[in-house]
Amino acid sequence: MQTVIKHQWIYEQSPNEVWEYLTQSELIALWLMPNNFKAVVGHEFDFRTNPIPSLGLSGIFYCKVLEIVPLKKLTYSWKGGPSNGITTLDTIVEWTLEQQENGTILNLKHSGFKDENYSILTGMTDGWQKNIQKMLKYLNKSNNGNTNS
Amino acid sequence: MATPTLDTFQVIADPSRRRILHLLTKDSYNINSLAENFEMSRPAVSKHISILQTAGFITINEIGRERYCTLNQNGFIELRNWISYFDKFWTSKLKKLEATLNKKTKN
Repeated sequence: MQTVIKHQWIYEQSPNEVWEYLTQSELIALWLMPNNFKAVVGHEFDFRTNPIPSLGLSGIFYCKVLEIVPLKKLTYSWKGGPSNGITTLDTIVEWTLEQQENGTILNLKHSGFKDENYSILTGMTDGWQKNIQKMLKYLNKSNNGNTNS
Repeated sequence: MATPTLDTFQVIADPSRRRILHLLTKDSYNINSLAENFEMSRPAVSKHISILQTAGFITINEIGRERYCTLNQNGFIELRNWISYFDKFWTSKLKKLEATLNKKTKN
């Protein structure tokens, strides 16, 4: 079960330029979402988008700046849920920048998809096969079992 | 009593329902034997089971007089969609960042 999202992109621009687009509220809004970000450790902010009912998310992501290493690393928490006060998504977004000859390598790590919801899933990966076997056993014992299941 | 329609995350947000699912990862239970694991009344447990069934987390099989609960994969697939959603989300956003940066460079 995958619990971390990782992406790497290479931009032609310098780390300095890319950093501005990661840390200035109005520049972040141009490519990500409207927000009230400030590059201050401990600052609490949110990202706002349309609700995503299929995922049980209100469209507001509650975040807090956790770490800043200028031009190199930025980390914030990323929480969401069906409505204010209920957190079902509790994750961490980590950006790291590496300078290369003609630009910047930007790494994104979105982790923490491993709360209680997912520990059920993890427990299931080996439990699943066993359950199917058990279910088949019960079904075979019974003449009026539902074989669609 | 009507079973409320809850989204996947509301279904999972309840500790008793999570416990029912945990129990079912280990064994198949009938409703009575599940209820023995909880302080709450049997009808209350039944209600949770009904919610889990409606949301696609469990299947109920009638075997003789007993109703056995087993896990159903459908509900869990929806949880997995979360990761897949954000995976695509970030790809599109990083692409947009590229376009935004390039536009700025030209100006």
